[in-house]
Amino acid sequence: MKDRQPTGTGENAAPDQSNDRWNDKYPHLGTAPIPIEPYISREYFALERERIFRNVWLNVGRIEDIPHPGDYVVAALTVCRTSVVVVRGKGGQIHAFHNMCSHRGNKVVWDNAGRCRNFTCKFHGWSYGLDGRLTFIPDEQRFCGLQKDKLGLTPVAVDTWAGFIFIHLDPNPVETLRTYLAEVVPGLEGYPFSELSATRFCWRTEIKANWKVAQDAFQEGYHFPVRHKASAAAAFTSETNPYCHFLSLDLYERHRRTSSYGNLDYTPTPVAGMAYQFGSSVVVERGLAMDNLPAGVNPTRRPDWSIDVFWIFPNFSIFPSNGTYLTHHFWPVSADRTIWETRTYFPKAENAGQKFSQEYSKVLLRDILMEDGTTLEHMQDVLASGAKTHMPLQHQEICVRHAYNVVEDYVGFYAGR
Amino acid sequence: MPEARLPEQFRDLEQWIGWSLETEGERSDRRQASAMEDITAFYEAMLARMEEVLPYLEQFSLEELPDDAKRLFYLTLSLAEVAPAVEQFGQPSVVDGYDIKRFVASHR
Ligand code: FES
Ligand SMILES: [Fe+2]
Repeated sequence: MKDRQPTGTGENAAPDQSNDRWNDKYPHLGTAPIPIEPYISREYFALERERIFRNVWLNVGRIEDIPHPGDYVVAALTVCRTSVVVVRGKGGQIHAFHNMCSHRGNKVVWDNAGRCRNFTCKFHGWSYGLDGRLTFIPDEQRFCGLQKDKLGLTPVAVDTWAGFIFIHLDPNPVETLRTYLAEVVPGLEGYPFSELSATRFCWRTEIKANWKVAQDAFQEGYHFPVRHKASAAAAFTSETNPYCHFLSLDLYERHRRTSSYGNLDYTPTPVAGMAYQFGSSVVVERGLAMDNLPAGVNPTRRPDWSIDVFWIFPNFSIFPSNGTYLTHHFWPVSADRTIWETRTYFPKAENAGQKFSQEYSKVLLRDILMEDGTTLEHMQDVLASGAKTHMPLQHQEICVRHAYNVVEDYVGFYAGR
Repeated sequence: MPEARLPEQFRDLEQWIGWSLETEGERSDRRQASAMEDITAFYEAMLARMEEVLPYLEQFSLEELPDDAKRLFYLTLSLAEVAPAVEQFGQPSVVDGYDIKRFVASHR
């Protein structure tokens, strides 16, 4: 059993002294270079499909995405070779089904999101209620011995935590969502997700990189002074913390959380300064009262804090900041393709100034992400060359090391080798 | 004289009306397709008026902006769009950046 105890868990927690030598806090993870094979191997990818993605809770969005009965979204779970419809039922409850007609298997829903009264298949017209029950079959009398009540859409387990909708491909998962998240989310309890989800922006892209190559790039601040030199380094580094060392972090059995540094002396550029008069951004929210943040966000209560990250295994992350948050999803497509989706959330804008502020924050975030995107494809391009077999990681890259270990614990590729 | 498209006190910004675009995609396309000197000129002209523009817009509710105010509002969003080009990158696109056309917004 790995360390499940968060360290700083409240206002009185002692400042973490180990914040540049994280490997010392988690000796069981070792310090050796990690193998490149999991980032390129098709065999490894096939095992991830079977042993991870079919066996865990996966976030597919927020309740605000489907506020009214009949609202639905479709999650393309290419990694599990399926597509899942998540719909708000007549009574307000949320259902999830494989997007597959019980007749001859046509996809029941063809778009990514929408609203409907029922699902009607566009092949022969079989019709299903929002609860997945089969309600109508054209020319039904011509079928022999059909058990209509057993021919509903195939359900997928669905549950929510703090407004986040999770599905599990096993309709009767051994582990509840609550148990699954228990080690990581208590610290986030009370964060104003619903208030901050009034305004939602979302981008997605298919990137030519393994899902772990993509995700790992967001698990360390070591690249900030170089890759984000032009855009964000000034806000996230300083003379006293030039390499964006974490303020605190906790690694759990499957999930993890980190607190990132923010430069209190950062002087915003003119438009940034103007925007921040009206609202928070991931780059500037310094000096605001932290009283309304739950104790588990920036647990050491450092004033020079910018943002936390909660990594929900396997492919979802929540970045809570002060007055805004963002999320990433990395959906594997194949060993070297990933759908990367970023969402950024703000409170409802009451006036033009706030709207302008949110626009600036999201545009700057988008541009910072454009810096990240380039390296991911360049890495993938040569990782498969075989020129090198391992990559060395430093203390501040311990989340990459932890992520590798957790994936390997599920996959067992090296077990017994 | 073409019909005025911005509120009277902001007529000096008429020459930038091409930046009055409704969606992030349109604003981003224009930024990527513009010369840096045009972006900088627009940035400077807008920035100089923002202290008046925002209070002017705030007299309306966001849902009920009159057409001329709405065009002005879209100009402020274009200022947000071009700001990183001027303040961070010194060129229209992100330096060594990912192809922004591939980063598809599902919002407006
Ligand atoms: S496949 Fe759906 S009605 Fe035939
Ligand atoms: Fe980055």
